[in-house]
Amino acid sequence: MIVQGKEIKGPVRESADVCIIGSGCGGGASAKVLAEAGKKVILLEEGGYYTSRQFDGTEQTAYTHLYQQRAGQATDDLSVTVLQGRCVGGSSTVNWTTSLRTPDFVLEAWKHKHGVQGLSSEELEPYFERVEQYLDIHEEPFENHNPNNRIILDGAKQLGYRASAVGRNTKDCQKSGACGLGCPFDAKKTVAITYIPDAVTAGATVFANFRANKIDVREKTKRVTGIVFDEQTQKPKTDFVIEAPIVIVAASAINSPVLLLKSGLANSSGEVGRNLTFHLTSAVLGLYEKIMYGAGGIPQSAMCDEFLNKNGDGGGFWLEAVPIYPTLAGLALPGFGSAHRDRMHAYPNIGATIVLVKEIDSSGRVTVNDEGRASISYSLRGRDLEYLKQGLDVAARVQFAAGARKVMTLHSIPTEFQSPAEISKKLASAEWGTNEIAMYSAHPLGTCRMGADPRTSVVDSNCQSHDTKGLFVIDGSVMPTSLGVNPQVTILSIAEKSAEWLVDHFDQVRSS
Amino acid sequence: MRETLSGIIFLSAAKLVPANFLFASEQDQVSGNLLFFSLKEFLIFEAVAERIIGPATPGQVRTKDVGVAARADQFLAGADPEVQDQIHQLLSVFNAPLFTFLFDFRMSSFLNMTLAVKDSYLQDWMTSSLGFRRTGFQALKRVSMSMFYTDSRTWKEIGYDGMFMPEDRK
Repeated sequence: MIVQGKEIKGPVRESADVCIIGSGCGGGASAKVLAEAGKKVILLEEGGYYTSRQFDGTEQTAYTHLYQQRAGQATDDLSVTVLQGRCVGGSSTVNWTTSLRTPDFVLEAWKHKHGVQGLSSEELEPYFERVEQYLDIHEEPFENHNPNNRIILDGAKQLGYRASAVGRNTKDCQKSGACGLGCPFDAKKTVAITYIPDAVTAGATVFANFRANKIDVREKTKRVTGIVFDEQTQKPKTDFVIEAPIVIVAASAINSPVLLLKSGLANSSGEVGRNLTFHLTSAVLGLYEKIMYGAGGIPQSAMCDEFLNKNGDGGGFWLEAVPIYPTLAGLALPGFGSAHRDRMHAYPNIGATIVLVKEIDSSGRVTVNDEGRASISYSLRGRDLEYLKQGLDVAARVQFAAGARKVMTLHSIPTEFQSPAEISKKLASAEWGTNEIAMYSAHPLGTCRMGADPRTSVVDSNCQSHDTKGLFVIDGSVMPTSLGVNPQVTILSIAEKSAEWLVDHFDQVRSS
Repeated sequence: MRETLSGIIFLSAAKLVPANFLFASEQDQVSGNLLFFSLKEFLIFEAVAERIIGPATPGQVRTKDVGVAARADQFLAGADPEVQDQIHQLLSVFNAPLFTFLFDFRMSSFLNMTLAVKDSYLQDWMTSSLGFRRTGFQALKRVSMSMFYTDSRTWKEIGYDGMFMPEDRK
């Protein structure tokens, strides 16, 4: 059963075996495993419940109803825009479908540097396989890549860099390009149309428009309290109390730490909210003679992974394509006024390549502001800044190799290259301070990190709080480090594994 | 007291705005419908958005055609209170002659600047050595661009055809 805020008439008082807060990859996968094991599951989602019938392919509708802060979520200094879903299905509803396994070197680092157990490549293999099968993850044949993705496949290969198709969680994709706006064809296998319906079939109840504000730990139970919202007006309607012996926080690397900090839980280490990684992203835009039309076709189907961990330091960068919707283009193109408007007129001829940095020196922090919401800070530094510069350099060369006649970065002061010969010199003299180049994140991770040592981590290798038994965090916030790849397969696999562990140890956890 | 303050703001705004900017009846209409901006803030933001989006040549969509400032008013009315406070402060600082003088030695409110000076002033905010001014510029650019290019009337000009949709929803 899926219950929406608009259906609620008065205060809600419910109890369950497990209360899950957040319905994205972590919460949705956990709900399915637990409900199918016969547990009474209540799944809370702050955002609304939407189906493909309501997706109209516009940024206006999508940003208003499907994204955190209507796609305006950012660090406090506005230097990094943080894109996240806020609806049943979470970010899986609005991501661009890229589905990749956790790199082996990342899992090795988790084991050796953070003492994580049970998450080696071999141990995760059956979970990766299960997720890939369940979500129809596959690579697209060559003819399905749109011109924007062909930049990577053609340009990188010309320069001798490794490039290939990425896995995508779609079936019967219509190549509309609308992945980031909610798939109107239900071709994208989001959590909202896979895990959650299966969880509901198994007996789970989903409450949409329910914002959890606090978790209180009592002797034999935990009490989740919060507010029910009206989706249309976003005004509070009533309150709710859910009692359950086991609570899973799955509200993302931004909102899970906020809830734990407000609740005063799981933070004996002082690490809740710290260690935020962004998989920091910027881009280059190429201007082509031919029509590129980056809003159409499959938005993200190729990658260049030549430079990930190339130096063996666990860092580096990665290239992918990005859908070029009008508003995203307006925000990303440098400058303002007539010059900006002229650049917008070249819209159909623009190709975009994003550079995603796997951080090793940079991190940020999530704290709670006066309104009780997330306050996000982040600083790009050290080798990560150098990798960003190197990534933009490589991406610009890839664009030229693919046929661009001019390439620009997202610096406020337009930084344009007329030929590959200009790239390094101009990047060396560019400004890199706050808000001097547009930066983004769609993969915030790490703010409730996993580890063996309760002094330096928030949850153990099963995602259970070191401090409070029966309190779990299962989402991107438990990742001990940046992944270097799009995180949905990692989160889903860890969620399935952790939820299975919980099923196997349910009585022990409940009575502890 | 509140009415007096509103009157002062209204008069100040009317004084600062070129006479042909909004007729009095339009002012009343706009003022009565605002959810977030004061009338003065509305006029400042409208002027900012016009310069950030870029002036329209004949046949192009103007910021006024789309109602960028009115859409921003609705959008910001639903923002977090902390964001709302910051936007109010930003617009106040951005337009105040005291600050235009302190920042750039221009003893004029933004609304009273010529178009060329407005652009130069925005450029100074965008490239300022002061981080909070660059942040302020980004905030204004974000809201302006978002309100303009999410409107389907702007798409034809840039060659965007809209999203391919199922037959029954075209």
